[in-house]
Amino acid sequence: MIEVQNISKRFGRKQVLKEVSFTANKGEITCLIGINGVGKTTTLKAIMNLTPINSGKIFIDQEVIQKDTYEKITFIPDANIMPTWMTIREACDFMKDYYKNWNQQRADDLMRFFKLNETDRITELSKGNTAKVNLMLGLSLDVDYVLMDEPFSGIDIFSREQIAEVVTSHLIEDRGVVITTHEINDIEHLIDKVVLLDNGVVLKEFTTEEVRLTEGKSVMDVMREVYQP
Amino acid sequence: MNRYWKLVNFELYRFLKLYVSLIALTIILQFTGVVVKSLSYVHQANSDIYEHGMSRAQFIEQNGLANFMQIAGSLWFLAPIMISATVILGYIFLIWYRDWFAKNRFIYRLLMLPTSRLTIYFAKASAILLMVLGLIALEIIILPFQLSLFQLLVPADLRQDIPITAVLGFQVLAIIIPGTWMQFVLHYLAGFMLVCVLFTAILFERCYRWKGLFLAVLYCAASVMVFIAPAILAAIRIIDFYPNELVSLEIVLGLVVMGAAVWISQFLLKNKITV
Repeated sequence: MIEVQNISKRFGRKQVLKEVSFTANKGEITCLIGINGVGKTTTLKAIMNLTPINSGKIFIDQEVIQKDTYEKITFIPDANIMPTWMTIREACDFMKDYYKNWNQQRADDLMRFFKLNETDRITELSKGNTAKVNLMLGLSLDVDYVLMDEPFSGIDIFSREQIAEVVTSHLIEDRGVVITTHEINDIEHLIDKVVLLDNGVVLKEFTTEEVRLTEGKSVMDVMREVYQP
Repeated sequence: MNRYWKLVNFELYRFLKLYVSLIALTIILQFTGVVVKSLSYVHQANSDIYEHGMSRAQFIEQNGLANFMQIAGSLWFLAPIMISATVILGYIFLIWYRDWFAKNRFIYRLLMLPTSRLTIYFAKASAILLMVLGLIALEIIILPFQLSLFQLLVPADLRQDIPITAVLGFQVLAIIIPGTWMQFVLHYLAGFMLVCVLFTAILFERCYRWKGLFLAVLYCAASVMVFIAPAILAAIRIIDFYPNELVSLEIVLGLVVMGAAVWISQFLLKNKITV
């Protein structure tokens, strides 16, 4: 389980996160929702120890993140994080070299599914294909937890459909997923839990089933209530 | 191959094009220098002796014998060494900043590797050290060929043959290729310490941005002060050291500065780094 306990983060004078707490379980998709600048990406980076927090604690399976933890959790950011001179095959080889849990079979399957050409250089890829490569590299690790930052951002409708299909088919295999997105419609049917962030605080945390059954609302309806008063 | 060596190999590969350019530049400029300087001497000798009727003895008395030191002290020879040193110095910064500011944000991937973050630090520092040692090795390898070329171009009676050990003890070459193994180790340990201090200063800046820049300057000044304190004390005669004592003290302080740099970097990489 990923446990985020009362984390706060300040950039200069700006308080980005204030006492944010939530949990994300294995086998569930938890969605961090909020308008731009509410601290969604900062939260994911904090979980991966890519940005220091001012206070609070983060545990992954009851342990503070350390080098071996990166074999069980992966972060898929919304931008390319591999050297642009690499080909897709070289990027895979790099991952294979450093991660014991690299799954080449899955990488090949995903490359075929996304119709990616392994000899293409990363610098030549469109935004949509860059997102697909990011997804392929992240999901080809046999990890327990996957963090995804805006996987649908700036991507055409067909690529979005493909990515949503991959999220459906490859992510829910007993993994814990934390995802941030604006495009809630694409994945609303997949989400188990929602954490609504606003101005760095958790406004609301609920399961989608709960709001559907008890209040008869969709996640989008709840978002409208919160962000369009 | 463990992850450290893989990362060293990866860092060297990333620098390969620039490195090959530096090697090519060094070879081309230095050999061109040998040819240009040698032929110019021979041409002047031919002109003075055969066209102006000067005797060989008179020419030698006026111009001296040609020797390789004249070439080793020329810009043809020194410029590629200076250029290489400048490029490597710049690369100490580029090796980190590129991972943040290039078209990709590779620093994300590096920091998420399932290995100690200090491994990344040491891999980058080792890559810099290996690049420097590679260029030194190149110089040692090509020097005998340059001497042979010089001997081929300048007739024996117009040149003064100098042993290669004497050439190595000349000017910049004496600094980059010290005469004894002990000096060699000391010079390059000091160089490695400098790389570690600069890396730590870069990490200060990356962790705290503008405040970090200020901290980096303070930290560099403190490290330099600690390292050169005995030399200053000896120079202003507050304490007199025997040469052996001074060298031993510098070695100990160098190790202290390097240890501090590594310890601070480990702390920053583990707890403060921001991408």
